[in-house]
Amino acid sequence: MSAMKNTNNEHGAYVRKVQEDTQNFTQAMLGEIERLRVVVATLEAEKQAAADQAREMAEAVKANESLREQATSLGVEVSRLRSQVGSLRTEAERHQRLEDALQTQIEGIQAETRRYSSRYAEIEQQNSNLANLYVASYRLHGTLDRTEVVAAIQEILANLIGSEEAALFELDPATQTLELAASFGADPAECPRVPVGTGVIGQAASTGEIFVADPGHPPAAEGIESRLTACVPLRLESRVTGVIAIFGLLPQKGAIEDLDRELFDLLATQAAFALYCTGLHAKVAAEVARRW
Amino acid sequence: MNKKKILVVDDSRTALFMVTTLLRKERYDLVTACDGEQALEMAAAERPDLILMDVIMPRKTGFEACRELKRREDTRAIPVILVTTRGEGENVEEGFASGCNDYVTKPINAQELLTKVRDHIGGRER
Repeated sequence: MSAMKNTNNEHGAYVRKVQEDTQNFTQAMLGEIERLRVVVATLEAEKQAAADQAREMAEAVKANESLREQATSLGVEVSRLRSQVGSLRTEAERHQRLEDALQTQIEGIQAETRRYSSRYAEIEQQNSNLANLYVASYRLHGTLDRTEVVAAIQEILANLIGSEEAALFELDPATQTLELAASFGADPAECPRVPVGTGVIGQAASTGEIFVADPGHPPAAEGIESRLTACVPLRLESRVTGVIAIFGLLPQKGAIEDLDRELFDLLATQAAFALYCTGLHAKVAAEVARRW
Repeated sequence: MNKKKILVVDDSRTALFMVTTLLRKERYDLVTACDGEQALEMAAAERPDLILMDVIMPRKTGFEACRELKRREDTRAIPVILVTTRGEGENVEEGFASGCNDYVTKPINAQELLTKVRDHIGGRER
């Protein structure tokens, strides 16, 4: 009984041990299975990642291919554009040369225009000078009346030369003295008889030369002669028949100009001649009146 | 086309002759008067495009004639350029006070005169 009991006990212990080992084995297997499951899951994830990577790689390769095609196409385009740029540069250089040539032409034309403008202004000035000389001559010879000729001289001095202070002296050949014939704006009392060769006025009558005072430097003379601006001897052929003395210019008239000198030359001969003609005409008229 | 008409007024025959010689070259139609009174009559009768008038004249001075021209309805619009012997301030002021549009001084500079005439009535023809 006891042995049987012992046997039963031993069998139970064995069974329990087997059960325990089985359980342990099962536990270990379950642990291994779990581990393997984790490994499989990891591998699955890695596989998926590899697949994703492979897909991305394929896409990248595809994109790369596309970019290569684009690059090739761009290369062709760049070559074409480079060629165009070369053509345009050549064209631009041609245009630049053309522009330079045109600019040179324009500058030439502008210089020519300036030259013509300047010449035109000169001609206009000459025209107006001639007009003044023509007017003066016309006025002096437009009458045989002495009063009119004297008035014309006064108007020429005022309107063409710009003086409102002057005197007309005529030579008395017998006494060789200049006598006041008319004064324009000048006090007659200040214009005494002037012996030929005396003072600036007398010297002008003596030499027959036109006198023009230096601007700002009045002549070293006394009385009204110290205010002299110009003296114009009246010349009939080689004889001096009188003097026009100019004592000042209008405020706006700065100085004696080239045209004034030409007018002085004209007055010197034409005024003398006009005055002589009035005298001659008066004599002829008197003679005709006496005879008829 | 009608030429533009200018009335030139001056008692000096030399000045009148000089100004008309200059303006005739520019092909303006010219009428003349020799004093302020006659200028008023001519302005009313001729209706010029411009009046160029001396200041110092018998019967009526340029200032008086200008004032009268500017007072009258029918001549008020005609531009007047006065020709003065003196270019000092008070003379110029008196000129503008009389209603003149511009002035030139004697001795007349041809280019200045023609420029002012063109400024007021433009070219040669209307």
